[in-house]
Amino acid sequence: MERRGFLKAGTAGFASLMAGTGLLSWSPRSQAATISKTYYVTAGTQTMPDGVSVYVKGFSDSAADLNVPATPIICQEGDTLSITVINRLSVTHNLVIGGLKAGDPPLASTGDIAAGGSKTLTYTIPTGKAGSYLFYDNKTSYNVLLGLHGGLAIMPAGKTDELYSGSPKFKENKQLFWIFNDIDPVLNRAVQQGTAIPTNLTPRYFTINGQTSLPPGAVGFDDPTRDAMANPMTKLEGLVGDRTLVRMLNAGMCSHAVHTHANHMEWLTDRGTVRPQVWKKDTLYLRNHLGKIDAIFPFEAPPDAYPPVTHGHFPMHLHDEMSQTAGGGMYMFGAMTEIIYK
Amino acid sequence: MGMKGGGGGGGMGSACYVYPGTPATPGRVTPDVTFRRGIYMNGSMTFDDGNSVPIWGFTDLDAGQGQMDGMGGGSFPSPAIRVTEGQIVHTELTVGMMWMHTIHHHGIEPSTENDGVGHLSWDVTGGTYTYQWQPKHAGTYFYHCHTNTPLHAEMGMYGGLIVDPKPTPGDPAGTKRAFYNGPIYDAEAIWVADEIDPAFHSLPWYAGTCGGDVGLNNLNPQYFIITGVDGANSALTHPGVAVTMPLGQTLLARYICAGFHPQKIDFGGLTVSVVASDGRPLPAAWQTQAIEAHSAERYDCIIKPTSRGTWTVTVQFLHWRTGAVMGTARTRINVI
Repeated sequence: MERRGFLKAGTAGFASLMAGTGLLSWSPRSQAATISKTYYVTAGTQTMPDGVSVYVKGFSDSAADLNVPATPIICQEGDTLSITVINRLSVTHNLVIGGLKAGDPPLASTGDIAAGGSKTLTYTIPTGKAGSYLFYDNKTSYNVLLGLHGGLAIMPAGKTDELYSGSPKFKENKQLFWIFNDIDPVLNRAVQQGTAIPTNLTPRYFTINGQTSLPPGAVGFDDPTRDAMANPMTKLEGLVGDRTLVRMLNAGMCSHAVHTHANHMEWLTDRGTVRPQVWKKDTLYLRNHLGKIDAIFPFEAPPDAYPPVTHGHFPMHLHDEMSQTAGGGMYMFGAMTEIIYK
Repeated sequence: MGMKGGGGGGGMGSACYVYPGTPATPGRVTPDVTFRRGIYMNGSMTFDDGNSVPIWGFTDLDAGQGQMDGMGGGSFPSPAIRVTEGQIVHTELTVGMMWMHTIHHHGIEPSTENDGVGHLSWDVTGGTYTYQWQPKHAGTYFYHCHTNTPLHAEMGMYGGLIVDPKPTPGDPAGTKRAFYNGPIYDAEAIWVADEIDPAFHSLPWYAGTCGGDVGLNNLNPQYFIITGVDGANSALTHPGVAVTMPLGQTLLARYICAGFHPQKIDFGGLTVSVVASDGRPLPAAWQTQAIEAHSAERYDCIIKPTSRGTWTVTVQFLHWRTGAVMGTARTRINVI
């Protein structure tokens, strides 16, 4: 039983993500910099849409927070990352930054961080590493599923509108993460209670950036601290022409089919590898086991509207529709967000 | 205009978080083509082992299929919608007051009102709503109900949606192309690969919407089908699925991943030229002998066999968590 730092995820957990526009804000520098960040490994509970309380862990902004996922980091090639992780719990944890491409070794790791201890990871980013990364705890195979994960965006040096040097362009400061997770409370409970870790998992909750969607009429609907449809870190909101880069990371156990209404996406990378050509897709296959995709949502006027329109509300949801449920029912309380043409 | 639901969220009968409505279509004009769809809620499909499950779907009211009361059965998959790019299309959906459904034309990107997503517009009940849209891109799509989707799509509420290109100038009459100035084909197959979990097929249309565990997070399919035909054996020879074509002809196989788990389709040793996906031409054709796809992806495959023979096309259905092969569905390409 891990009792230290037992927290309740909720408004406080996401408050630090709500500053500014909600999108990843980025201003390039001519000089490399050291990007320092401290995370606290904390644990607590998160209430699911059906009222079930689930034990989770996070890389949090303070000892009093419980952030799932972690506050993201954005930096550029040439920068030095200095990430300090303070383990507030009673078992060993770590933080690794996954490799750029599937099969690559991790970029960097803190190594083991004993209960109550801390470690600092220092890593200078070489050229050629621009892209989207999941950082997570791999001390066990399941820590990432408990919530110990976050997004790292490495920009090409000096660029504001490219995923990698020479990539199709997006609009400056129009980029965000969609980090997906699948939760089987049986696993979380076993970790909390120190019992045998189950291997045959059946997820019952499905999150995007740590939240589920909440449909109109639901408690918490349209509350950005609770509703993934309303969270500015998650929803796509823009005017026609606001090309937005979406960095999709799969922290969960299931593969997913990411489906946008209103526009096809421009598919740039799969598992860190740049696609040989840009395909336009309304549905993208996001692999499990730390799969990732980068794509641009072009924010073109919905092409098939008659009469033509430039405003509207649309969903992004996973088409593996089991993921659109909570607790075995409750359609629309799953991994979905909103696409808003202002 | 912006919308967020129809003020729903309370229960309607035994349903929660539904948004009933049948308003007038904004900006309605006289269409070039109209499809009139009802629903059926009492169909069935019998598998090769003799077992059967209830099936729901859409009916073609102009063909005399079904009424708005939803009783009786209908074709599975639902009758296809086939249009030409640039046409103004009306899809009229009529639903009785006992149920709620929508039509989402997957991959077609119309206005919010015509997108068929209940919580962002309305769920159709007790009347008719006319979806108005104008497809701009030829290719392979499908349409499905977007109300309580994990259940309604699994129950069979989907059909093919093909957008043919405008004629390419200079083409003889009857020339068929995958897209404008795209590859020419002679024969066509529409392979809609889906999996069936009988446990889902005994639930009411609103199952789980008010809470409670009805198992919608856990699809454990027992049957694997291609275009409504059991892929265990029947699809190997069913004339609506298996292809028989003379040597020298070109086949366009439209593969639609209509299940919820990922799939892998293998063309039995044939190399196919994938020319489009999700209703968009690829910048360059992709030569492959197999495609991995996930729910709702579509791939348009040009196949030009160079000899006579029979090739078995196999779809593997892969568990979304473990990747294990849960089952397979097979059909054939016979070149004579």
